[in-house]
Amino acid sequence: MATDTLTPALPRTDPSASGRTTSMRRQKRLGATAILVFLILSSLLMAAPFLWMALSSIRDPTELAQVPMPLIPQDLRLENYTDALARAPFATYARNSLILATAAAVLNVAFGSACGYALAKLRFRLAPAVFGWMVACIMIPFYATVIPVFLMVRHMPLFGGNSILGAGGTGWIDTWWALIVPGAISPFMVFLFRQFYVTTPSELIEAARLDGVSEFGIYARIMTPLIKPGLLTVALLSFEAGWNNFLWPLLVTTSDNLRVIQVGIASFRQEASTDWHLLMAGTTMAAVPMIILFLVFQRYFVDGFAASGIK
Amino acid sequence: MSTSTHPTPPPADAPAAHRAPVPRRSTVRAAEKRWGLLLAAPATLHTLLWIGVPIVVAIVLSFTAYDIIHPPEFAGLENYATIFTDGLFWRSVWHNVLIAAIGIPISMLLALVFATLLNRALPGRGVFRVMVFLPHITATVAVAMIWLWIYNPSENGLMNIILGVIGIGPLPFLTDPDLALGAVILVTIWQGIGLKMLIYLAALQGVDGQLYEAADIDGANFVQKFHRITVPMLRPATFFILITSLIANFQTFDLIYILTEGGPANSTSVVTYRIYQTAFQEFRVGLANAQSVILLLILIVLAFLSRRIVGGTDGD
Repeated sequence: MATDTLTPALPRTDPSASGRTTSMRRQKRLGATAILVFLILSSLLMAAPFLWMALSSIRDPTELAQVPMPLIPQDLRLENYTDALARAPFATYARNSLILATAAAVLNVAFGSACGYALAKLRFRLAPAVFGWMVACIMIPFYATVIPVFLMVRHMPLFGGNSILGAGGTGWIDTWWALIVPGAISPFMVFLFRQFYVTTPSELIEAARLDGVSEFGIYARIMTPLIKPGLLTVALLSFEAGWNNFLWPLLVTTSDNLRVIQVGIASFRQEASTDWHLLMAGTTMAAVPMIILFLVFQRYFVDGFAASGIK
Repeated sequence: MSTSTHPTPPPADAPAAHRAPVPRRSTVRAAEKRWGLLLAAPATLHTLLWIGVPIVVAIVLSFTAYDIIHPPEFAGLENYATIFTDGLFWRSVWHNVLIAAIGIPISMLLALVFATLLNRALPGRGVFRVMVFLPHITATVAVAMIWLWIYNPSENGLMNIILGVIGIGPLPFLTDPDLALGAVILVTIWQGIGLKMLIYLAALQGVDGQLYEAADIDGANFVQKFHRITVPMLRPATFFILITSLIANFQTFDLIYILTEGGPANSTSVVTYRIYQTAFQEFRVGLANAQSVILLLILIVLAFLSRRIVGGTDGD
């Protein structure tokens, strides 16, 4: 019976198959079963750390000290979550991450698409130079520039008590400006948008020009609606990068009400030290929103990675 | 309602709409040039300011002694001389090399195996793909927290529970200098498979099925088909994965920050963590910038090297 459900897994039957011996077919079916078993085992292995996180997050703390610890928690203790929320302002952290990630998504979609469209479809003198610059930027790791960016933010003139020369105060440190502005437009997203627009038909642009549509109108109302899945892909990838960002928020925020969730988890680790049931509850809260977003919009995430990889 | 948003264009030689006069070609060209520049400007200026300027500043500061409090002073090549003899910095580079040399081939191989197996109609195909990809989509901080708990040195750490079954341990994975780097590498493999698998899957879907059919007719077996068709056809994807993995590897930071803080006894320090310490803990900003410049040079060399080794994405 189990083999019946496996039938669709077999390679498409070719016309000569009927002529082959049944032992060969059985061998193929056996092979398909082996592949399925291998995939089930290895994907369980891949998911095991997440299962362990979830199990630990509902574990009674007394079990943590028990040797041997029962693998499956004896009862479901959701108080771990309320306890974790009481110990650290995870709601505030999550709100901050949400704002940061949303801003990254909106800004990348708005400015990334504009630049990507111009590079893909409009002929202007600086286009090759701009394109080369964007590709070069993709190669430059954030970690190589993080110190100067930090210094620029700290010496932002006329902010945070700074003089017009950027001295004397703290500039943008511990402000939303610092969190959002320096990373607002990713050259990778510009590149991705260019790839999406390249696949759109240029005849539409010519036709719209004959109709007297403005250049901005062509970009915003004719060409961009054609790459709606691409917009969603960039929005999701930017959101993910914003939500998962760690080093930059760690460097530029000091107050609790600007702290994002990844930094919050790291500081909660000091605070809760060996209370693993609370730490795993907090980690679950930091990880689950992205997992849900991925499950819902899987296709668009995958499209983004595929497009960036192959074209 | 307006015809302008209608997706199908009129035939090119059909008379244009009567309400608007046909714009002159030269005016159209001028508008195209102007809007090209206008639309590209925000992203270009932003990256010039927040990537271009910092690169220049990093290079300039790398020739200075700077402690954030006092203004930077010109120091010539002193920082680079310091780096040259800085054992800890090169040890950190070496750790990156080890993580890459061990972790990337293993996760690429596993990714290729998964992609090959998943590139067919299979019950639960989507579920497998999601489970393999989840570690990539999850924040590295969260991933590191989970593994910190898995590597817990007590009998109740998951890894020690597993090793206990075969009578080993408990082992202090992250506090034993001989084990810590291996423990880090295992996490990078686990986290790295998903993205590599996705790129391989997309590449496999681009391989012409007729090639395999022709090979079948010629009586090629699975290994021959894999070796003669799949591997050559996946060369551009392999190059892309290798280069992005190398770049990503030299940017490993969050994982080290949470798991080991570079320890024990600096046995897991990596370049980015060393730069972070130099700049934000020791306040030797000039030196840290020189280290950043070295990191950038390493990445540029790696990009060229891997292009030579794998053969590149174009030309062949």
